[in-house]
Amino acid sequence: METGNIDAIVLRVNELRTYFFTRRGVIKAVDGVSFELRRGECLCLVGESGCGKTVTALSILRLFDSPPGRIVGGTVCYNSTDLTTCSPQQLRRIRGKEIALILQEAQSALNPVLTIGDQIIEQMRLHLPMDTNEARAKAVRLLREMGIPSAEDVLGYYPHQLSGGMKQRVLVAISLSCDPRVLIADEPTTAVDVTIKAQILDMFRELKEKRQMSIIFITHDLGVVAEIGDRAVIMYGGKDVETAPIPDIINFPKHPYTMGLLECLPDVAKEVERLNSIPGMPPDPSYLPSGCAFHPRCPRALDICPRQEPPLVQLSKEHKVRCHLYG
Amino acid sequence: MTETPKAIAKDRAPLSGGGLRLIGYYWRRLTRNRLAVFGLAFIIFLALVAIIGPFFTPDPTEVDFEAKNLPPVGFTITHSTYDIKTDQFITTRVSGNWKHPLGTDRKGRDMLAMIVSGARVSLQVGLLATGIAIIIGTIIGVMSAYLGDWVDNALMRFTDVMMTFPFFLLLVLIVFIFGPSLAFIVLAIGLTGWTGTARMVRSESLSLRTREFVMAAKALGAGDGWVVFRHLIPNVISLIIVIATLSIPGVILAEAALSFIGLGDPTVPSWGIILEEGQHSLTTAWWVAVEPGIMLFLTVLAFNFLGDGLRDAFDPKSSV
Amino acid sequence: MAEKNSVLLEVKNLKKYYSLTAGIIPRHIGDIKAVDGVSFCIKEGESLGLVGESGCGKSTLGKTILRLEEPTGGKIIYRGTDITALDKDAMRRFRKEMQMIFQDPEASLDPRMTIGQSICEPLVIHNIGDDKQREEILTQLLLQVGLEPAQANLYPHELSGGQKQRVGIARALALNPKFIIADEPVSALDVSIQAQILNLMLDIQRQRGLTYLFIAHDLSVIKYVAHRIGVMYLGRLVELADKQELFRKPLHPYTEALLSSVPSVKTKDRKRVLLPGEVPSPLNPPSGCRFHPRCHRAMSVCSSEDPALKEVSSGHLVACHLYRG
Repeated sequence: METGNIDAIVLRVNELRTYFFTRRGVIKAVDGVSFELRRGECLCLVGESGCGKTVTALSILRLFDSPPGRIVGGTVCYNSTDLTTCSPQQLRRIRGKEIALILQEAQSALNPVLTIGDQIIEQMRLHLPMDTNEARAKAVRLLREMGIPSAEDVLGYYPHQLSGGMKQRVLVAISLSCDPRVLIADEPTTAVDVTIKAQILDMFRELKEKRQMSIIFITHDLGVVAEIGDRAVIMYGGKDVETAPIPDIINFPKHPYTMGLLECLPDVAKEVERLNSIPGMPPDPSYLPSGCAFHPRCPRALDICPRQEPPLVQLSKEHKVRCHLYG
Repeated sequence: MTETPKAIAKDRAPLSGGGLRLIGYYWRRLTRNRLAVFGLAFIIFLALVAIIGPFFTPDPTEVDFEAKNLPPVGFTITHSTYDIKTDQFITTRVSGNWKHPLGTDRKGRDMLAMIVSGARVSLQVGLLATGIAIIIGTIIGVMSAYLGDWVDNALMRFTDVMMTFPFFLLLVLIVFIFGPSLAFIVLAIGLTGWTGTARMVRSESLSLRTREFVMAAKALGAGDGWVVFRHLIPNVISLIIVIATLSIPGVILAEAALSFIGLGDPTVPSWGIILEEGQHSLTTAWWVAVEPGIMLFLTVLAFNFLGDGLRDAFDPKSSV
Repeated sequence: MAEKNSVLLEVKNLKKYYSLTAGIIPRHIGDIKAVDGVSFCIKEGESLGLVGESGCGKSTLGKTILRLEEPTGGKIIYRGTDITALDKDAMRRFRKEMQMIFQDPEASLDPRMTIGQSICEPLVIHNIGDDKQREEILTQLLLQVGLEPAQANLYPHELSGGQKQRVGIARALALNPKFIIADEPVSALDVSIQAQILNLMLDIQRQRGLTYLFIAHDLSVIKYVAHRIGVMYLGRLVELADKQELFRKPLHPYTEALLSSVPSVKTKDRKRVLLPGEVPSPLNPPSGCRFHPRCHRAMSVCSSEDPALKEVSSGHLVACHLYRG
């Protein structure tokens, strides 16, 4: 099943590796991640803490702290430019304007001493040839589009005067201000109330449909993935362990981790006597198990699993897994 | 179903022992900071000098008539003295020797002996005055935070008043009435320098009071006394250690400054006193001012490095 | 059998207000009505789930029931005894039976105590057992929550989030309580660990015959754990029903909206009831029914009259003018 326009691949990440070289050793935060983002689709990066999804997002725009972090391998291809090796000037032109990133903590992403208006307009003036009035008008339009009431007034507000949900919308508005083609959102619905979560998800759905935006949506919540994603990349131990369209991930998961995740989710629509949990804990990126990182917790581990990293197996046109069970 | 402890990501601590392991953990974090290690080493060296130095050096008040204004070892200087008989200035070249390794002052007192005795004075003043200030500050801070309401209000207004207190004028007054005395200087610094500590301890205690583990202790049935002594104070101690370490240099400098302007105790040779005398002979005997100056500089640096290192080591959020 | 179904905890019209003062000479200018008249019972052996969004007062309610916050009004009756106004000493006896598991495993453990010391702390406070007996109890507890006895000497920062929460559970069990309030015990944990901890809590409940008040904002978690569920909004209970009943037939418009907003893997294309606006401030709740400004089924009476919590069908209570009880 194809999603998005398969001919229009907007962003291609290939075997990306980002390591952090600290005094205490090398942390392989991202250790071989590959995926492609197609135009108009919502690709979800799914995983628990320490799996490398946030670092992957930061690596696309090279926004992590550069010592100690470094991209040691792989490419990130956008518009025939490799973002891992391009010059800082090229990168700056792309950040915000072509690829926008919404960080995880909405509260701290906004500057507390600047008004909302200042922050949106600042972003626009940085990239677009606009005068202040044009920028203001556009800012008001954006805020209205995000469903923020009395947008004109909100321009003059400070972040602390807004609630969590509003701040999240403002962040999305800022990121859209330069009409980027790609939006990367890092856990925008975590730490937000359920009803606000629903509003934000609707907002993202509209973005996808009305603006044909390509979205990379980072989350640990499979329920959110089911609601809004087209395809999902399940991450574990710095690698992408399974990639497939959403209905396949949910109904025909292949990797034992994906299956475990689905089974251990309490779900409103499920009637279940007992949740099957995955034993053990998500691995610490500085001490990854040998071979397949999931093997200590895997109920179907084979003898080869601790010894060798599993190969990437293309199960079908759209579904790939990294697991010895299929290789 | 067992899980392996996450201790691997940080220092792997042995599974035995108790409180000592915690101290060991903090020690390791401290010693990763090179500047802090230098600071600690210097302070230990200084303490040794202060404690056993006087056994190896002559009495600082002892005067060597023949060797006035002697430069330190390795330096040579020209003395120009007026000879009455010949009605001329006779210039002689004088070199430092090992009898007085750091030279002598204009009265002929051995510089090394004075520096060593000054070290003792500075450390004593530093520790004592800081000790007094910290104890007063901590008691007021914890009481204020825990008892709250009008007690808090009253204590904090009192603290505000003490902060504006002209400590300097007090000192001048004391010197005027009682004459300069080291004991009074220590008391004056201690009794007026606790305000910063009180505020910081209070604010830390306030934030601790609302931390969940305090609420958890109450849920378990703990009384107020238990909470204060078993939870609040142990968690504030690290803050107090940091405050103390960073206050000591200020106190040492305060004493030096007082001595420098003449309010110090002339009977006790502290670095400040030596500095004061040295300023008159900067051109002829520069070492008299420079040596205590360097010692003060290094001491203050050392305490500051150590204090910063301790603060980073105790802070769970800083990655050391 | 009557023993099994006896009421363990009854809360009557419980209120917790925080008064706001302003000015140099403090002047009372208003109240934050965090909990504004909540009543319910919990039977022995059951799990009551309390769900609601931020600002609804569920955490404050939990703390007030344990007298960690002093109630401003109403009554708390535990096993027939009114504990609302007991003094500290009398309350201490009850503390042995009523315990709490906190939300943030990091913040609820004293960073300067080993986990062994933290777990044994309640035993020390209440003078239970000598050193040797406490060691034994500690070992038992650690094993029961899935930790190793050798880990007793570790400090909280040396453990993972899931392990810390297990320590919190062990500590809550140390005094052999009958009633445990769990305040968002799994919301700070990874998904795969959540399931472990939830299963642990259910196992312990079975083994020890515990009664739970389970507070969470995540309806999917509540569904897995609770027998009955109460929905809170702005300091009030708006609906209370058995789990199956609540999910099948939610009556209150807020409950409908909540249920339709929960992201789910299984159901797609649900009818979404979208709630406009945000939760109003507890300082100035709307007149009449607190939910009326956001309610898609509000009537004219809703803005003037505050509906009471009434039993509409067996075991199903709701506070809404749409239903005559």
